[in-house]
Amino acid sequence: MKVIRSMVLVSVDQASLEHGAEQVFHAFLEEIEEFGLSDQVAVSTIRDVSIHEDVPLVIVYPDAAVYAPVKVEDVHTIVEEHLFKGNIVPSLLAMMHELVPEIAWMRGRRGALPVQKRIVLERAGIVDPGSIEDYILYDGFQALGKALTRMKPAEVIAEVEKSGLQGRGGAGFPTGRKWSFVASTPGSPKYVICNADESEPGTFKDRLIIEGDPFSVIEAMTITGYAIGAHQGYIYIRGEYPLAYQRIEHAIEQAEAHGLLGNRIFGTDFNFHIHPHAGAGAYICGEETALIASLEGKRGMPRARPPYPTTFGLFGKPTVVNNVETLANVPAILRNGAVWYRDVGSPKSTGTKVYTILGNVNFTGLIEVPPGITLREVIDIYGKGMKNDKRLKLVQTGGSSGTIAPASLQDTPMDFDSFRNAGVSLGSGALLVCDEDTCVVDLAKVILRFFRNECCGKCTPCRIGTLRLYEIMNQISKGEGSLSDLAEVKKISEAMSEVSNCGLGQTASTALRDILKYFREEVEAHIIDRVCPVGACPIAIRKPEYLSVA
Amino acid sequence: MISLTINGQTVEVPENTTILKAAEQARIVIPTLCHHKDLTPYGGCRLCSVDIHGLRLPATACTMLVSPGMIVSTESPALTRYRRTILELLLVRFYDAGYTHIAGMPALDTQFAHWVNYYGIDMKSAMARKPFRQIDGDPNPFIWVDKGKCIMCTRCVRACAEVQARFVWTQAYRGYDLRIVSGSATTMMQARCESCGACVAHCPTGALDNKMSVKLGPPDRLVTTICPYCGVGCQLELNIKDDVPGGRVLRVTSNSKAPINGDHLCVKGRYGYDFIHSPLRLKRPRIRKYILEGTARPENRGPWVEVDWECALDVAAKGLRNARDKYGPHSIGLLASGKCLNEENYLMNKLARQVLGTNNIDCCDHTSHASTVIGLEATMELIAQSNSLEDVAGQAKSILVIGSNTTEQHPIFGVKLRRAVLHRGCKLVVAHPDFINMSEFATIRLIHKPGTEAALVNGLMYIILKNEWEDHAFIEKYTQGFDEFKQSIEGFTPGHVADITGVDENVLHKSAEILAKERPMAVVWSVDLTHHSTGRVNVSSLINLQLLLGNLGVAGGGLIPLRCQNNSQGACDMGGHPAFYPGYQSVELPATRKKFEAAWGKGIPTKAGMNAMEMMTAAAEGRLRALYILGEDLVGGALDGNQLRRSLGNCDFVVLEAVFESETSRHADVLLPGVTFAEKTGTFTNTERRIQMVHHAVAPQGESRADWKIIKELAHRIKSNGTDGQYTHADWDYGDTSQIMNEIAMLTPIYAGITHERLERTDNLQWPVKNLSHPGTPTLSVEHLRNARGRFITARYDEDVTSAQTT
Ligand SMILES: Cc1cc2nc3c(=O)[nH]c(=O)nc-3n(C[C@H](O)[C@H](O)[C@H](O)COP(=O)(O)O)c2cc1C
Ligand code: SF4
Ligand code: SF4
Ligand code: FES
Repeated sequence: MKVIRSMVLVSVDQASLEHGAEQVFHAFLEEIEEFGLSDQVAVSTIRDVSIHEDVPLVIVYPDAAVYAPVKVEDVHTIVEEHLFKGNIVPSLLAMMHELVPEIAWMRGRRGALPVQKRIVLERAGIVDPGSIEDYILYDGFQALGKALTRMKPAEVIAEVEKSGLQGRGGAGFPTGRKWSFVASTPGSPKYVICNADESEPGTFKDRLIIEGDPFSVIEAMTITGYAIGAHQGYIYIRGEYPLAYQRIEHAIEQAEAHGLLGNRIFGTDFNFHIHPHAGAGAYICGEETALIASLEGKRGMPRARPPYPTTFGLFGKPTVVNNVETLANVPAILRNGAVWYRDVGSPKSTGTKVYTILGNVNFTGLIEVPPGITLREVIDIYGKGMKNDKRLKLVQTGGSSGTIAPASLQDTPMDFDSFRNAGVSLGSGALLVCDEDTCVVDLAKVILRFFRNECCGKCTPCRIGTLRLYEIMNQISKGEGSLSDLAEVKKISEAMSEVSNCGLGQTASTALRDILKYFREEVEAHIIDRVCPVGACPIAIRKPEYLSVA
Repeated sequence: MISLTINGQTVEVPENTTILKAAEQARIVIPTLCHHKDLTPYGGCRLCSVDIHGLRLPATACTMLVSPGMIVSTESPALTRYRRTILELLLVRFYDAGYTHIAGMPALDTQFAHWVNYYGIDMKSAMARKPFRQIDGDPNPFIWVDKGKCIMCTRCVRACAEVQARFVWTQAYRGYDLRIVSGSATTMMQARCESCGACVAHCPTGALDNKMSVKLGPPDRLVTTICPYCGVGCQLELNIKDDVPGGRVLRVTSNSKAPINGDHLCVKGRYGYDFIHSPLRLKRPRIRKYILEGTARPENRGPWVEVDWECALDVAAKGLRNARDKYGPHSIGLLASGKCLNEENYLMNKLARQVLGTNNIDCCDHTSHASTVIGLEATMELIAQSNSLEDVAGQAKSILVIGSNTTEQHPIFGVKLRRAVLHRGCKLVVAHPDFINMSEFATIRLIHKPGTEAALVNGLMYIILKNEWEDHAFIEKYTQGFDEFKQSIEGFTPGHVADITGVDENVLHKSAEILAKERPMAVVWSVDLTHHSTGRVNVSSLINLQLLLGNLGVAGGGLIPLRCQNNSQGACDMGGHPAFYPGYQSVELPATRKKFEAAWGKGIPTKAGMNAMEMMTAAAEGRLRALYILGEDLVGGALDGNQLRRSLGNCDFVVLEAVFESETSRHADVLLPGVTFAEKTGTFTNTERRIQMVHHAVAPQGESRADWKIIKELAHRIKSNGTDGQYTHADWDYGDTSQIMNEIAMLTPIYAGITHERLERTDNLQWPVKNLSHPGTPTLSVEHLRNARGRFITARYDEDVTSAQTT
């Protein structure tokens, strides 16, 4: 087995390819060969890396040095200086502001982010996502081996229950409890589904977990299968994530080739198979019952729950549906024990949480931190402060379906309970930071347009409610609203959140509700004074009517 | 049982009951829109949301199942608010252009309008300001599509998929743009719509409506009656408007309480009613001019003359009486009708036997199902389908459909079979020379050469016997003639049968295995099997198959000959048969004859008469001089029309009762205008022996008269000697058809428990109904086998001369 100490990732998005990425990639292979490093350095590719023409981009791990733009002529220098001698080449490094967030955070990862604690992202960006050897070298498949050879299924479930792991897909349901429901429900076969549909605006954690560390998801699904007595698993990957899909497909092949997936895993008589499935572009298919319908080949529409998937899931059989991040925690829990995991977090919010930071901050990207950190810390430390030194106005937490935390809440510790008490939800972990130039009416419009387009159409309050709310906010933003509109908003959003079938309809008006709670005067200014205080809305300032009579 | 509380009331319901159903049981009304009792719950409109103690959010009563101790409240100020909001939101995307009845006003008689009104919303002012979808949105000739009135409840989508098993409608797009589309947004017809109107029947808003009557407004009254088309016997509702004397039919609707079909009808039943008011109806009696003039009958019988009833009836009575007096009673033949009431067919039988003194009576339908009647006669005491339709559709594990294009000939039953396949995985083996719609749903399709059915079935039995899949115990206990039968099957080796039928040996083997192993298995056939010169042998082979596999007397098994006409079964039951009095009582058994003599008087004939085909031959040969045909187009519907034209042409005197001119009326001397099913009251008996009430809905058109009145008048005129009071039922003084039914019940053991009054109370009586408290007999048991033992019939296969001629 090779002992890989470094890895080189070459960007291969369309722009990079146009700028010679292919030649750069081959140059690296040749140079590495030349320096006799082939057994120690792996070369791989990465996509969607830049917004700029300074490509191709090359990332060298473990130092996470990002070079860009790299020309064929530069390759010799990088291999000699960085890989052979161990010195980063500052003159070739990329300019920070030209990087997309997910690359940017990698760049500053070492040393710069002191309190990050990595469980889920432990290996992402460090191992070669295409190499099972790499994964194994970094403790991969230890947990599965331990489970299959030394633990009974019930013990696996007990350990996960004890760890206090809660679902990271939005609802925060205790994972161990979900598993034990399925394990104890009569009926076979049973199924494991990994929900990788990740469509919540501003959320991209699952994609990076899969792209960076696909084997951890494979291992975790297999452990889940063992725990609940399932032999088939499905991973439902958002259609717009082709690289994640390829990585998973490749990881499945490799795991099968190594006897770590498929029949007689680890030589035991446990069999488990994983089938990847690509979504077709509907946000609603992230909702578990819609996801199941879609997997079954039907129109992706949520159905009434109960019965929950735990009793009536895929093809009507008991099914575990877990989020990618949830599952990615499982191998570490089994390896290090539930107690270790609990110690990372707080008693009611165990383990870490992955957040995506975006919006008006200097530094956007992905972080994994234990609970208890505050919004102020997130913005100051990881976000490197507000962009252009503007003032913080609000943070939308948990994606478009999430809540609005005004600046006044920025010192509240971020854990499930404290946030819940403050009326804030963490949801998918997206943190949209908005500065003083953000108009809340405009923000509400954007959010509602999203839901109006993504609602599946089943429930009356959601289908027509999202349409009406969008229309109303649109009117208000044009200065054509009236105060009675706000009464209608209240009436509609109340019906939406109370009597819609699924989370989409129930939460589509959450942000608007919070906006009216914290920023009512600003909304009323659009209606009464016909002005947008921030100046973001297309209000046509009209003269009061009595003036135009003359 | 689960006990729960709804609005403070304790309710006990079985497990897996929804809150909605439990509430219904407690007579608590919860508003609904997307729910329909025939369809799987959807939970989309959210109108039925109710509070459940302990749950954070309200739940939908139509989807939520009860659990022990559940505390439900169906009303609260908040719930009322949500419901009103839901309805207001629906109206945001709802536009009624106001064409249905009162000009410019939205329809107020729909389920949707009901709830809008109930929650105090003014439809007209709350709905969309202008149309946003095309109003007459599909070229389907029967179904009106106005998507502006669609509230996306998806009842049409589910009705098409679950009721009609056709999958024409589906949802497309999403969110506020969600709509129903047919196919991939093609026309309904391109999406293979069968125009059954199930979607119309299930739509709560009028977005889908009946095109022919969409602008005719609401009816003044509804009349529940039975469909006049096929033997399935669906119940339907005639919508009558009384704006013309006697009323007129606006449209046909379905009724969810209908015993066989619920809200389901086929295109014929729902949309084929225009014949009732057709201008082509016969409205006055006619006789041929030569009769009036007293001249000789011309070759083509010459021109018609319209006359009054007195004249026509006198002429008809005189013609029949003359034939009897001159050539003897056996020179007259009568044909009963599968289109007419039981009561009318009974009168035909009585007219033949009591008044005219002949057993020459049959029903026209026997020209097509004669082989079924003859075949069954050999094995069964009662000549009828052995099991209920629902029983086959609901319980058979496998079904052999042979010689029946079920979805075309008996649409509602065909669709029930499609559902059996889709919903419960019933295995279907379809044998038909064509690829028919049923073939699409078949586990195995046998596409055999026409006329080789008997060889095919014999081949299947050969394989069953070789593998010892037969039911030994049943054969032992309930059959006779097995050994000879077994020998006779020896020649039907798979190779030989494959040669004859053109069906692959492997396929034969697989079919035999399914049919033998997936039991109970039912055999369904119809005219495509009997309309052959080999029809009788075909039917015998099927009876052998069911005896061999022991599929008689069990629910889900049986012999299922689907009778063509709405009352084919009843016409035969009522003595429309040369060998049987009503109820399959043999005319040759002295004991039965005595019973009828005591009722009708002396002099009824002692020997079985001629059947329809024999009568036709006799007419051609000059032995049959006069014919009286009830309500049938004998020639138009016959297998060999030329032969019949010759026979009728040669007949001295033909009386026809009909509603239209036809091929047959060209050969008649007297044409008496009868009425359609909509203009009379009485009973029909469907193919599964179910006796159902038919109700008078509109006045007879023109001077036409109910057929029973016509027969009665003829009887009065032909009869020379009055009654002397010593016979119980010699009279013909019927005031209405219920009195005729009372007489039928007195004389017919299988109808003994039937009265109109009882049928008005319950719809579920399948004969034998032994007395007034007997509940009827959905499945004929093994005791109805002739002599309690089913006789195997020697296996045969003769080449079909009719199809041999045509190929
Ligand atoms: C509208 C909607 C969208 C959702 N999208 C996702 C998603 O993209 N990914 C996900 O993991 N869960 C999503 N969920 C939550 C899932 O329904 C489900 O709760 C989750 O996958 C369970 O996994 P967990 O217990 O590991 O969190 C969504 C829920 C709703 C209502
Ligand atoms: S709440 Fe919205 S997205 Fe969810 S099922 Fe209902 S209509 Fe579909
Ligand atoms: S057409 Fe009628 S039945 Fe179909 S979804 Fe619309 S309202 Fe419902
Ligand atoms: S009737 Fe229950 S949701 Fe529509």
